[in-house]
Amino acid sequence: MLLSIGNLTVKYGGNVALSIREPLEIQEGDRVGVIGSNGAGKTTLIKSILGLVPYQGTIRTELAPDQMAVHMQFNEYTDNMSVGHVMEAILDRDISKDKKLQELIKFFEFQDCLKKKYSKLSGGQKQRFTIIMVMMQEAPLTFYDEITSGLDFETRQKLVEKLVEWYKGKEASFLMVSHYYEELDQLADKLLILDKGQVVDYGRREELFHKYCGRAVITMDNTPGNAALMAGVEKMASPKHLIAVSCGSEEKERELTGLLLGNNVNYKRSNNDIEMLYINAKEARNEK
Amino acid sequence: MKNKRKMISKRMLLFEFRNVTRNPYVHIFGVGMPVLMMVIITRAVLGEIVDREALLSVKTTIFLGIGAMIPMATIFMGYGVAHAQELEKGIPQRMELFGIGLRVSLCNRIVSEVIFMAIAFIIYFGVGYGVVGVKLPKLSGAVLYMICILAFSVILFCLAHAIAAMLRKFSLTYCVTMILYFGMMILGGMMGISFDSMPPALQAVARLLPVTYINKDFAAIWAGESYNFMPMLQSYLLLGAVAGILLFVTVKRGSRRLH
Repeated sequence: MLLSIGNLTVKYGGNVALSIREPLEIQEGDRVGVIGSNGAGKTTLIKSILGLVPYQGTIRTELAPDQMAVHMQFNEYTDNMSVGHVMEAILDRDISKDKKLQELIKFFEFQDCLKKKYSKLSGGQKQRFTIIMVMMQEAPLTFYDEITSGLDFETRQKLVEKLVEWYKGKEASFLMVSHYYEELDQLADKLLILDKGQVVDYGRREELFHKYCGRAVITMDNTPGNAALMAGVEKMASPKHLIAVSCGSEEKERELTGLLLGNNVNYKRSNNDIEMLYINAKEARNEK
Repeated sequence: MKNKRKMISKRMLLFEFRNVTRNPYVHIFGVGMPVLMMVIITRAVLGEIVDREALLSVKTTIFLGIGAMIPMATIFMGYGVAHAQELEKGIPQRMELFGIGLRVSLCNRIVSEVIFMAIAFIIYFGVGYGVVGVKLPKLSGAVLYMICILAFSVILFCLAHAIAAMLRKFSLTYCVTMILYFGMMILGGMMGISFDSMPPALQAVARLLPVTYINKDFAAIWAGESYNFMPMLQSYLLLGAVAGILLFVTVKRGSRRLH
């Protein structure tokens, strides 16, 4: 076990920003995606694990502070020199003499940025700069806090592709906070769902999906025609523009898809949709 | 990064030295201003003193006193505002998350500051001896001046760090360090009002500052004359204790809670 959290409470002033009642563990090799809306306590969780905010409760780990790497939402560096010099100082090695660092720089296509100052880098380049240094730490546990926020679609996509490629076949664990479900879809095997500072659920993605969405979910546009067609069918919680139906069994799925095909309705089937999982986990908690 | 980071390393020193030298304040207030003030003030007394030996003594007193401005500007003001700027951006925390703790940062920074200050003093002494003409020191006087300036610099560094860590804002830190900088200069007798012309209340405050003794008495130490170091030492101890306590409190307050 890399990390365990028990009975954790973080308060900002008088307000409880995060409260974790049930024990929560991160095992070696876990890739945990943390989801929740703004103010859910995602960043607070990372900050409390890193000891950056005062908290009550217990956080146990055998990892030394320098064995936990972190890419915060906002990372700033001195603008008094080129990022190449900053990188060499932080990593305590010469770029020209370190093969591994050179490979990472090349992998993240950062060669042409090394002579620039940090403020002159684009948003994507800034993120890649920190990622390179975070990865060079070779930490058993890494935290990524909304690393693609503020990036355009293409840059975001490219960055995530690089991360997927980098972690392929590696044993390292990470905890990644993101508002983009498709990123977690590619990177996370466990999910921690937070809402208003409380844990909604935590577990393996497929188990959580099965728990809240069943075997598979069929979604279609929420048009008057589709709504009429689905009038007698039990629906799941979904974004307003969609109608979502849970298929608990293969038979039900065949029946439903047959009906949709027969009426020439476009639909989407998924057995791992994180957005639907998140919405329905929250819904289930609210119903409780 | 499996290697244990050294307290002081070549790369971190270079990093901090670049940070020091890219700060325009230290060049303007730490090098330009002391040199300019020393030249202007020594020129101003030229016409007032006829006796050559007395003139040399006055010029040496002015020279040594204004020299104390160098650590006050480069370290106290320069580092204070630069550190506040970094704190505002969250840079020290980011560095700590990369395993570069406060102790490593502080050690490399203070060495870099001292190296820069030494360069500033070389320029200052170059102008002092080349242009103005000041007394040559006795070995003991030169060594004591170096020790006093160095001790004063370390105290100012701790004070600057503590002020920036307490205020955490560039504008506030700039304001407070500027007030203290000019306050120390005025009370130290560097701004035209000598210690002897000050009202007793101001003299009482001035006695608490090392800069007062550097400005008014160091010419005698420089020349190897006998001197009662006790009041000066007390001022160092007092300012050192204040700086030490403030540094300890701010470091404790800002430290991470590690599991």
